[in-house]
Amino acid sequence: MEFDWSPVLDNASFLLGGLELTLALSLCSVVMSLLVGTAIGLLRHYGPRPLQLAIAFYVDSMRAIPVLVVLVWTYFALPILTGAVLPPFWAALVALTVHIAAYVAEIVRAGVSSIRKGQLWAASALGMSLWQALRTVILPQAVVRMLPAFGSVISIAIKDTAIASVIAVPEYMNRSQTVAGQTFHPIEIFTVAVAVYFLILFPVTRIVDFAYGRLAHLGRS
Amino acid sequence: MTFDWLVVWNNIGALLDGVKVTIFLAVATMAIAVPGGILLAVMRISGIRVLSAIATAFTELFRNVPLILVIYMAYYELPVMSGLSASPLVTGLIALSLNVSAYNGETFRAGIASIRKSQSEAAYALGMSPWQAFRIVVLPQAIKRVLPVLASTWISLFKDTSLVSVISVGELSYAATRVRAQTFRVLEVLTAMAAIYWVLGYPQAKLVDWINHRWGRAE
Repeated sequence: MEFDWSPVLDNASFLLGGLELTLALSLCSVVMSLLVGTAIGLLRHYGPRPLQLAIAFYVDSMRAIPVLVVLVWTYFALPILTGAVLPPFWAALVALTVHIAAYVAEIVRAGVSSIRKGQLWAASALGMSLWQALRTVILPQAVVRMLPAFGSVISIAIKDTAIASVIAVPEYMNRSQTVAGQTFHPIEIFTVAVAVYFLILFPVTRIVDFAYGRLAHLGRS
Repeated sequence: MTFDWLVVWNNIGALLDGVKVTIFLAVATMAIAVPGGILLAVMRISGIRVLSAIATAFTELFRNVPLILVIYMAYYELPVMSGLSASPLVTGLIALSLNVSAYNGETFRAGIASIRKSQSEAAYALGMSPWQAFRIVVLPQAIKRVLPVLASTWISLFKDTSLVSVISVGELSYAATRVRAQTFRVLEVLTAMAAIYWVLGYPQAKLVDWINHRWGRAE
């Protein structure tokens, strides 16, 4: 079997442009999912009962529907319903956030409920409001406990950006397909893609594990 | 804006055929990936350098690469490597099995490690060989302990089968794409696809919660 790596080098700048978009979409999705998911998770734990039920329904629905379906629906069906056409990148960001925030919400809920109730009572006895207690007592401990799970979510989010290639977001996966189709060297192109994704994802999971190893004691109570 | 939901009803046969393939893919992948995961876990803890290095490399590779890329790789690489042209269904099944085996390998490794060493030692004291101790004493307990994690992996797998639509395996999302292209009723067909996944997946997600509640161990 003969390999010819020149298609990769010839299209390096085109592929690097895709890599940039992969990193941008990953970063935006992770940040948005963490923000939205944390808010939803806290509302599910502390919010009024009807809201809790609605959030539980949303979270379980996202566990049931593939991210591909959410992506395709957001890009193709939502504009028909609303009349507003989202460019692929933004459709992908919305869809990934809607999907991944549900997982973040579950992690936040589990993390917050793992802190003993007595701590909230003690904070209340000191005259703190719920928000103050959350910010100064509960969350600092809970966030440390959530770190390993956040690590997996970040890894999942980065991997899910590759699925955005099906709605023509010109990120790394999509551009690899384009180059593979044009040069008829899919094996070389996709082998490089495997290396690229591995080099992004492997350090991310290791860094989170390392950080948790260093910080785990802060989460004990 | 007018919707024509009859389109979904008229093409329900095609969509249900897709559902059958989705379920087949999920079941077949798990049937391969559970033994595959146990094999990887045994290789990791075997103490034989080469075997554990191979298993580690396999696990880290497939856990750190997007599944959709593995599917494309399998699609282009398998015919070149084996000289045989596998059908898209078989190719998709192989790609999914590689991915899920890697996850199951980690799951089983953790499960086996969670069974105290004194249990194997007690088994040796009764005259069992290491293999007997593993098979009769350790593995059954480990499987019971990892059941909740396997159930979560199952849910992910069920959803991930949708990704093999990119190599034209006729599962639910591919079937929906075809119906969409034939009827031009984008919203109706895509909503129906999401609804079908929901109907199939929601009870499974609830079942997983129940399994977690019943057998999960709080750490």
